[in-house]
Amino acid sequence: MAKILVVDDSSTVRDEVAGFLKKSGLDVATAVDGKDGLSKIKGDPGIKLVLSDINMPNMDGLTMVEKIRGELGNSTVNIIMLTTESSPSMKERGKASGIKGWIVKPFKGDAVLESIKKLAA
Amino acid sequence: MSIRHRITLLIILSVFAIFTVGGYSIYQARINAAEVKNVTENVVPSALATADLVSQVKEVQLVTMALISEPDANLAAQASEKLAVSKAKLKEGIDFQLAHAADKTQQGLVEQAKDNLSEYFGAIDDTVKFKLAGQADLAGAAYYSNVVVLQRELQQIVDTLRIEKTREKDAAISVLNSNLSRTATGVAAVSAVLVVLLSVFGIILYRQIINPISRMQATTSEIATSQDFTRRVPVKRLDEIGKSIVAFNMMIGKIEENSLLLKQKTNDIQTMLQNMPQGILTITQAYKVHPEYSAYLETIFDTREIEGSDFMSLVFSNTTLGVDELSQLEAVAGACIGEDAMNFEFNKHLLVSEIEKKMNDGSTKILDLSWSPITDDADTTVRLMLCIRDVTELRALAAEANSQKRELEIIGEILAVTQEKFHEFINSSLRFVEENELLIREHTQQNSDVVTKLFRNMHTIKGNARTYGLKHLTNIVHGVEQSYVELREPRPDIAWDQMTLMDELIAVKETVEYYARINEFSLGRKGPGRRGGIEHFLMVDRQQIVETIHRLEKATSGNLDELRAAHDAVRKTLRLLGTERLVETLEGVFDSLPELAMELGKLPPIIDVQDNGYVVHNQAGGMLKNVFMHLLRNATDHGLESVEERLAANKPAAGTISLQMDVNEGMLQIKLGDDGRGLALAHIRNTAMEKQLINPEDQLSDEQVANLIFLPGFSTAEKVTEVSGRGVGMDAVRDFVRRENGTIKIQFSDDKVGADFRQFEIIVCLPEALVESVEGFEFHHQHEFDETLLEVATNDAIVFKQA
Repeated sequence: MAKILVVDDSSTVRDEVAGFLKKSGLDVATAVDGKDGLSKIKGDPGIKLVLSDINMPNMDGLTMVEKIRGELGNSTVNIIMLTTESSPSMKERGKASGIKGWIVKPFKGDAVLESIKKLAA
Repeated sequence: MSIRHRITLLIILSVFAIFTVGGYSIYQARINAAEVKNVTENVVPSALATADLVSQVKEVQLVTMALISEPDANLAAQASEKLAVSKAKLKEGIDFQLAHAADKTQQGLVEQAKDNLSEYFGAIDDTVKFKLAGQADLAGAAYYSNVVVLQRELQQIVDTLRIEKTREKDAAISVLNSNLSRTATGVAAVSAVLVVLLSVFGIILYRQIINPISRMQATTSEIATSQDFTRRVPVKRLDEIGKSIVAFNMMIGKIEENSLLLKQKTNDIQTMLQNMPQGILTITQAYKVHPEYSAYLETIFDTREIEGSDFMSLVFSNTTLGVDELSQLEAVAGACIGEDAMNFEFNKHLLVSEIEKKMNDGSTKILDLSWSPITDDADTTVRLMLCIRDVTELRALAAEANSQKRELEIIGEILAVTQEKFHEFINSSLRFVEENELLIREHTQQNSDVVTKLFRNMHTIKGNARTYGLKHLTNIVHGVEQSYVELREPRPDIAWDQMTLMDELIAVKETVEYYARINEFSLGRKGPGRRGGIEHFLMVDRQQIVETIHRLEKATSGNLDELRAAHDAVRKTLRLLGTERLVETLEGVFDSLPELAMELGKLPPIIDVQDNGYVVHNQAGGMLKNVFMHLLRNATDHGLESVEERLAANKPAAGTISLQMDVNEGMLQIKLGDDGRGLALAHIRNTAMEKQLINPEDQLSDEQVANLIFLPGFSTAEKVTEVSGRGVGMDAVRDFVRRENGTIKIQFSDDKVGADFRQFEIIVCLPEALVESVEGFEFHHQHEFDETLLEVATNDAIVFKQA
């Protein structure tokens, strides 16, 4: 089954999101920042969907996404950002990197589950 | 004729023209070729032959001369042979010319030359004969006299012929030249005519093709500019272009139809946007309000500056939303607009659905918001649509409906209480409120006595309200009572504040007055009902009057026994007017006891009432209820033991509270006793010491200790709860009794002096006027709780049956 990678530096958010997805029967991996996320994706071609926070230490979410597309040349993995704010520049960077969606925190699993299942299929 | 046919015709005509020009050229060329052949084969050779003829004439002459002058006979014979050849050639030449004479002149000349030639050749032959015969002189003479002359004539004729032939050749060549020139001119002329004809035809065809196309193009441009789809391109012919124009016109017709439909729909939408009493706007990628919005939005937001304004500030400024909520909303809008439609599903739960907005005029509007995405073909949310309803009025109506519902409930509560009881309740409650109002007003500082009095009054109102089942009022009074309880406790955070206390009191007063108003206006139960003006009026049971009259009428005037019986009946009826039995007065109080008992883990007490034939004047009902509500509830709370304790003490599981009414020494006496554990004298003593009402060294008799419970501020209850209504002090009860000029005392009914618990009765003495004695009307009543509503659980606990 396709895997979902949850990237967030906050263990609370990570546990909540990953916990919910696991409970919903999905295969979930986690990463603690952009750098970690990047190496996880590099090492696991089974990852089909990334749910990532934006503001993180070491490497922020948007930079990670740009590197996934650029350095790793992975143009197929679906990406959804978890965010608390929205700015035109953020959206522009997201568009350029082919981000599928933005989920404004707090995360409400029921609202996104169906779409996530589709994107991870 | 169709364009195709015309073009085909043009091509055929062009081919025809080419063939015409070609044919004509070939025809002319053929004519010219015959001429040329004639000239080259006849005229020119015969002309050239005339030149030969001249030389042949000279040849004959030269050979003849050579022969004549030749001395050698052999050589002369040879020359004679040579002469014969030259003569043959000349003759041949003349014959050729005769065959090729072009006209009579030539023919005449040639015939003349031929005639001359015969003579010439005769003269030569004669001369040659002389020579060959060796007669050289004769030969010479003949030569010069005949041959030379004839030779000269021939020479002349041949020259003339040559000139004639040359002239004929020149004339023929000239004719040939002119023929060629005419042919060239003819071909050029025919070509020119055909070119002109084809050009004209081509131009006509060109115009027939180009003109309608140009018209169509012009019309298309005009329609595009003017958007006037009613215009059509005129159709003049039904050829291919005509058909194209018809198709084009049909297309324009379709566009016109669709444009009309679109216009109609746009108009419908515009009308809706203009007239619907709902605010609709859409939010663009730049978070601005799109120019198309519903007119009512201006009414809702009370501004005309909507188009292009920032939607966050238009909708959410001056609302109850906090900074964080606003930033979240903005983030959600950003996450949705310009993104895939699923983002709306992700985040829509964060979009607020109701806001309270403070308007410029100071009013507050409640706005109901509903959000939806507007997506394009690629399922991208291009704008967010926001429908806004002003539900301020709706909410107000709902509140009003709630208040009406509450009013209905209150009406139900009031209707369950008889008019006079309710009237009395309202009056007493207002009296207590008034008392509290004075107490609060007169005291700027906290005073425990005052708080106790405040509490007592409020507690009484609450007890009465609960007795009558006036739930709304009970709740409000309970709240105020609670704050008095808190004031009683030493809590540093709660201080005596006249304003707050007054506000609370006003809330109670208003509620009481609200109940009174509903009773008076909604129910039309103004005044005290049948108790109004008790001194002046009585309300009488009609049945009683009917029976009395019937009895009087039945009595025979002569029969003393009948008369006496009738007299007694009438007297009894009259005395009973405006009275009620004690059990009737206290019924509400009795009914409130089971609940309290169950709450305390006890069985509902049996109430044993012995009225000894006394009935109570209605006007005393309120006071009696106030007094006995406290006493009965206190007895249930403090006096009666739990089921376990009672069973252990060999008592029936349910306790009994007895009430006895009698008149003694001109006073009405109501004794209240119970079969509980008795008065907890030791506990009372300790509590009084704790509360510093007595000193530890004080030597008090049991009676003195018992009387401590009447002191203000003495209450053995630990706390006051809304349901139980426990904890009111006996000082309150004494107050009620004293107001009616009565007394209350405790009388021990055992002799266990100094014991911790002693059996006792509370004796309430009141003026006798409050009751009437009716002979034969004695009443002993045991008020029992309906035991079928109870069941004994497995652990011996007694509980209410589940409904």
